[in-house]
Amino acid sequence: MIELRNVTLRYGEKVILDKISLTVQDNTIKAILGPSGVGKSTIIKLMLGLIKPNSGQVFVDGVDITPLKEADLYPIRRKMGIVFQGNALFDSMTISQNMSFFLRENLRLPDEEINRRVVEQIRFAGLEGYEDQLPESLSGGMKKRVAIGRALIFNPKMILFDEPTAGLDPVSSRKILNLIASLKKSNDLGAVFVTHIIDDVFAIADEVAVLYQSKIIFDGPTAQLHDSQHPFIKSILSDKILEL
Amino acid sequence: MAATLIGNYVESKMLRFKELVLTMQEFFYFALRSFATLPKAKRYWRDVLDQALICGVESIPIVLVSSISIGALMSMEVGNLLEEFGAKTMLGRSTSNAVLRELGPLLMGLMLSARYGSRNGAELGAMQISEQIDALRAFGTDPIAKLVMPRLLAALIMFVPLIALSDFAGLQTGALVAQFYHKLDPGIFWNSIYPRLLPKDFVVSFLKAPVFAIIITLVSSFNGFSARGGTAGVGRSTIKGIVASSGLVLVANFYVSKLVLDIMH
Ligand SMILES: Nc1ncnc2c1ncn2[C@@H]1O[C@H](COP(=O)(O)OP(=O)(O)O)[C@@H](O)[C@H]1O
Ligand SMILES: [Mg+2]
Repeated sequence: MIELRNVTLRYGEKVILDKISLTVQDNTIKAILGPSGVGKSTIIKLMLGLIKPNSGQVFVDGVDITPLKEADLYPIRRKMGIVFQGNALFDSMTISQNMSFFLRENLRLPDEEINRRVVEQIRFAGLEGYEDQLPESLSGGMKKRVAIGRALIFNPKMILFDEPTAGLDPVSSRKILNLIASLKKSNDLGAVFVTHIIDDVFAIADEVAVLYQSKIIFDGPTAQLHDSQHPFIKSILSDKILEL
Repeated sequence: MAATLIGNYVESKMLRFKELVLTMQEFFYFALRSFATLPKAKRYWRDVLDQALICGVESIPIVLVSSISIGALMSMEVGNLLEEFGAKTMLGRSTSNAVLRELGPLLMGLMLSARYGSRNGAELGAMQISEQIDALRAFGTDPIAKLVMPRLLAALIMFVPLIALSDFAGLQTGALVAQFYHKLDPGIFWNSIYPRLLPKDFVVSFLKAPVFAIIITLVSSFNGFSARGGTAGVGRSTIKGIVASSGLVLVANFYVSKLVLDIMH
């Protein structure tokens, strides 16, 4: 479970997040919907402890991670996988090296076990035959699947997606969304995904929080979004466009 | 009206100053952490080796170009000057000072700052904006140990032989110019150098290697890590890194010489 409690974050004088609170239960797909530049990626980084809030707390499984030092954050971050918006694959490494790198770095496993896990992730991502290619030679959807495979490498309970469908064609988008939904079913994996595409939310999210002008203006089951009276939500429901 | 204008001006200057102090503080911590991760060199020895190839072997041509041009230039110009005083036999001695102690290391430092510094700045900046550095942290790897420490260690190791190469090539070129341009016997050229070479000449020369290595690597890496705002941001931060490290190389070049010569005169 991840909880943000009264979190405020500023960059310089600019308030990005203003006392927001948000809870993500295990084995739930929670969407965070908001226009571009509102602070969605910032929320994901706060959840991982990559940045610290100016005030408020972030809890992961009941532990307040805000006062923790970098070294103490490592074991906590391993409970969550992350898929960055641009995938953040290491472009000088092959696909299988990208998958195995963090295993080798963090766990003292015999080579056979590492190879076994990598083969498993490659098969899961449907990338057999691409093991020795560099990321640049893969399509957008394939890169995304490599990034998801890498995020699963420590068997996390929760996986964080930063705009998983941004920049993908509709077919690849659909596949990635189905993959997120199936991970919940087959692996009991919770997910947080931030997006500015409202159709993605209705496609797979159990719950949704809407972030607008530094505040959470809606937080609840996806189906209840239609009942919201907030003018911004009403406008996005009628236009389905979040570009402002 | 005027008072508020001045007030605003002072306030904005203060803000800039505060920012500068904060950045310097950040840089100081960054440098400390880079040194603190040196013990992890064994774990990342492959990265150290890669970087040693990049900053050592691949820098040889540019170091040769700069040292040869300094050696040739000094020998030619100083030779002309000495000829007026009938002191051409002192050419070796006069050239060697500039080549070994001052201009040789300085030009090498500037060249490496442009070559190795820009490469680090651009590479790490691109990794920063594509969130690869965040990815390292998110999956439990210290990006300073993985990315900065190998660059620092490689430069610390490789700049020493590069200085030696630069010294040798610079003097050798000076001797050749003396021989073919000033018609000075190479024996006379070298003889005016050897007996007068003092330990301090080498201390000055070789002390500059680690000093430049630290300045160039840490400044360029720090600026790479600070890149923000897309590809244009990488450009901006890379330039900042090169300007800052070149400036610091100039300053350090002077102070290392002054310090050593003061102590060892
Ligand atoms: N390191 C930073 N320094 C200053 N401003 C930043 C930084 N990172 C993000 N921002 C700003 O914070 C706001 C929110 O950014 P972000 O979380 O990336 O938005 P989103 O993911 O919703 O598009 C943006 O206006 C962005 O310009
Ligand atoms: Mg974003």
